[in-house]
Amino acid sequence: MSDQALTRRHFLKASGLIGGGVVVAVALPGCAFNGPHPIEVANAGFVPNAFLQITPDNEVIFYCPSDEMGQGIRTGLATIIGEELDVNPANMLVKAAGSHEDYNNPEFGVQGTGGSNAVRVFYEPLRQVGADTRALLLNAASLELGIPPEQLHTVDGFVVAADQRYPYGDFVETAASLDMPVATPLKAPADFRYIGSEAPRVDALAKATGTANFGIDADLPGMVYAVVVRPPVAGSKALKFDDSAVKTAPGVLAVVPVSSGVAVVAERYWQANQAAKKLTVDWEKRPLSSVTSTQVRQDLSAALEANDDTESSHVGDPEKAFAEADRILETDYYTPFLAHAPMEPLNATLRITENGADLWTGVQFVGAAQGVLERLTGLPRGDIKIHNQFLGGGFGRRATLSHIVEVAEIAMSIDKPVQLLWSREDDLRHGFYRPAAMMKIKAAANNEGRITAWQARRSGANITAQTMKNALPGVLPSLPTGLLNGLVGAMDYVFDNWAVDASSVEGLHETYSLPSYRVSHATVDHGLPTTFWRSVGHSYTSFAVESMMDELAEAKQLDPVALRLKNLEGKPRMQNVVAEAGRLMTAMTVRKNHHLGFAAHSSFGTDVAQIAEVSVTEGHIRVHKVTCVVDCGLAVNPDIVKAQLEGAVMFALTAALYGQIDLEEGAVVQSNFHNYPILRMDEAPAVDVVIIESETHPTGIGEPGVPPLAPAVANAVYRATGQRLRDLPLKLA
Amino acid sequence: MISFFLNGEPVSFDGDPNTPLLWVIRDDFKLKGSKFGCGAGLCGACTMHLDGTAIKTCVLPVVAAADKAVTTIEGLGNPEALHPLQTAWIEHNVPQCGYCQSGQLMAAAALLTGKPGASSEDVDKAMSGNICRCGCYPRIKAAIMSVAESSLSYDAAAVEARS
Repeated sequence: MSDQALTRRHFLKASGLIGGGVVVAVALPGCAFNGPHPIEVANAGFVPNAFLQITPDNEVIFYCPSDEMGQGIRTGLATIIGEELDVNPANMLVKAAGSHEDYNNPEFGVQGTGGSNAVRVFYEPLRQVGADTRALLLNAASLELGIPPEQLHTVDGFVVAADQRYPYGDFVETAASLDMPVATPLKAPADFRYIGSEAPRVDALAKATGTANFGIDADLPGMVYAVVVRPPVAGSKALKFDDSAVKTAPGVLAVVPVSSGVAVVAERYWQANQAAKKLTVDWEKRPLSSVTSTQVRQDLSAALEANDDTESSHVGDPEKAFAEADRILETDYYTPFLAHAPMEPLNATLRITENGADLWTGVQFVGAAQGVLERLTGLPRGDIKIHNQFLGGGFGRRATLSHIVEVAEIAMSIDKPVQLLWSREDDLRHGFYRPAAMMKIKAAANNEGRITAWQARRSGANITAQTMKNALPGVLPSLPTGLLNGLVGAMDYVFDNWAVDASSVEGLHETYSLPSYRVSHATVDHGLPTTFWRSVGHSYTSFAVESMMDELAEAKQLDPVALRLKNLEGKPRMQNVVAEAGRLMTAMTVRKNHHLGFAAHSSFGTDVAQIAEVSVTEGHIRVHKVTCVVDCGLAVNPDIVKAQLEGAVMFALTAALYGQIDLEEGAVVQSNFHNYPILRMDEAPAVDVVIIESETHPTGIGEPGVPPLAPAVANAVYRATGQRLRDLPLKLA
Repeated sequence: MISFFLNGEPVSFDGDPNTPLLWVIRDDFKLKGSKFGCGAGLCGACTMHLDGTAIKTCVLPVVAAADKAVTTIEGLGNPEALHPLQTAWIEHNVPQCGYCQSGQLMAAAALLTGKPGASSEDVDKAMSGNICRCGCYPRIKAAIMSVAESSLSYDAAAVEARS
């Protein structure tokens, strides 16, 4: 094996290190696969590897290993593999991959989509798969045509010899009998035909015609419908229930206690929905049952006042630097719990037969969903097929598995295929939330604006601990229950006592080069389930950090962009992004009574700066326009990069202006879009996106547009009103 | 027995007359393009046309559709015969997750049928009942405006006749 091949074979470890994520060594399934495989090969032509299928009539099918939840990943990865295979992604049929370890996310060690990592981690392996497959097809064509391979080339799914064009499909039979080449050299970026172009999304037609299938659209013969009556307070168990009025309601087939509540199963969804209202349940009281939002905030503050925090990281001697500073700013910032509210409420359709289980749903962790079913049904993993559909929004919510657990519990007591559907009320009141955060930032800078000392302390619930508790049964399905429960129980202990959960403090110092800093964390968990919410810890830490940067600039009477540039030494990529955004900001003509606010933040390997143009009229904050400058390395499809930033601005603006999940006696107050409002078109700002040209390895784009928005708006509101708003959502006095 | 026209075809439903039209269309007539988002008429994912007017069907009892014409996304156009708005949707790369887009398209189509040369303000007003959590609003608006501004490509009468 050549050094180069060795390097490629082991790229996964390297990319894991670059990303700083969980590194799990896995084999790259580029060349062959074993065991039961989700690709049905009957009449299917040639399947050279887990990702590609080429039929004799030249249909090229790409099995996309990442879940499409709007981020454009089917288009992005089709572009990457198509570039080296030399097939225009628009001419491919792109399908969701079935459930198989060949599709594991290289960094997660399980099949799943999150952390804005898909393009980054699949960029090289899928190019290699495409290049090797193209080389194989050329070898096959050479044999069949009797022409040396070097006299052949390819154009968009055809082998070209002199002036003759032959579809790839002509050679698949011969190709199937040859060895797959390895480590075929990849194209130089200058030769890219598809990567870097603004091509249409491969799913646009289906999504514009109502023909795209989501989990909720699964419809099996004999299928019945289930809803779950849930406790007012998360985690409460049903002590007893009275279903006498339910069982006589039209269409009702069964009432099934499940671990999260009581399920009502009926012939039709609407019948289940109506009958469920007749159920009366006594729920147990939990510690969470007495918690209110006011108390959460007080407890988070108290933990920092009591110095309950544990250090996460530090550089230099910030205490000494603070002692030498002539002026220190110290400020609290607070952000509330938030729900994801994807447009498609959670759902899952499960059929269990003697041959195995089939699940139709939309999840971000196919592998863990498969594991949950393996654990609950006792079926062998190979007999459990996950038919992952388009996800009607993810944002982290579909990385959780509670709906998979529920549907399994219901289906195992009903001898029929069952579709479970959550209501919007279920979604908002029984979510896994972005945790509330209290952040105390202390900073000092010299007169040139160079920060000399920085301290960032956060209190609140952890994100990873709770997410792991939810995911472990699916990720480790064969562990004995006792050991699993022990591990789940240990999660809180680990993150309360041993280590700071990196997700909970990410973004508190990384954007800038700080000569001395200390980041610390106090875990205060009231028991409300939490999980990843688009951009995770960055979604709140950016608000504190970037508000403080403007407060520092004002204290030092410096321009906020200039102050940021002073603190980006050794961070050339962000320095360039901030400088470019600064130039754009200076050149902007600002309308009367409009004000600009600036913020920048690094997350998921990507650097983003945003300028918000804001007006305030009679206490109403209106964001007219947001200008984004982004460096995400090479933009595989620049139009999708733009779309992700447009969407991130809207998602983050909803949180900045309205987003708030409140607790009253432990129950979530918000229930539907009337009291958990989402930004609508009449409040939506225009969005301009400037992508920094780059040929470096692509980095994340699904999440990094979220963090800078709230502080950019808050900084503009300060200029408009003189009010420094340090709480989200932004509310003027 | 409740009878109505579904995308031009006469159909009848023999169940609870209070069942929301959305569930009758999805679960009984198996047209899955119209989506469930809130069950309270707040998000617009379920938008269909009732006698040409955009209406939220997750809160509309099926009995209210009796003897009327119901048009769903499947009746607006299809991959072989796209409605001009669907063409514009694709050209502007509008959808992200795509779940709300059937409702967005139905709301937009009703707007342009009533007001072919709709203004930016008209679009804001007509589309504010439809939530897009992915935040595709700038592209939805651009796509609608491109059709509104090109009245030649939008023959409202022909579209209604087809549905």
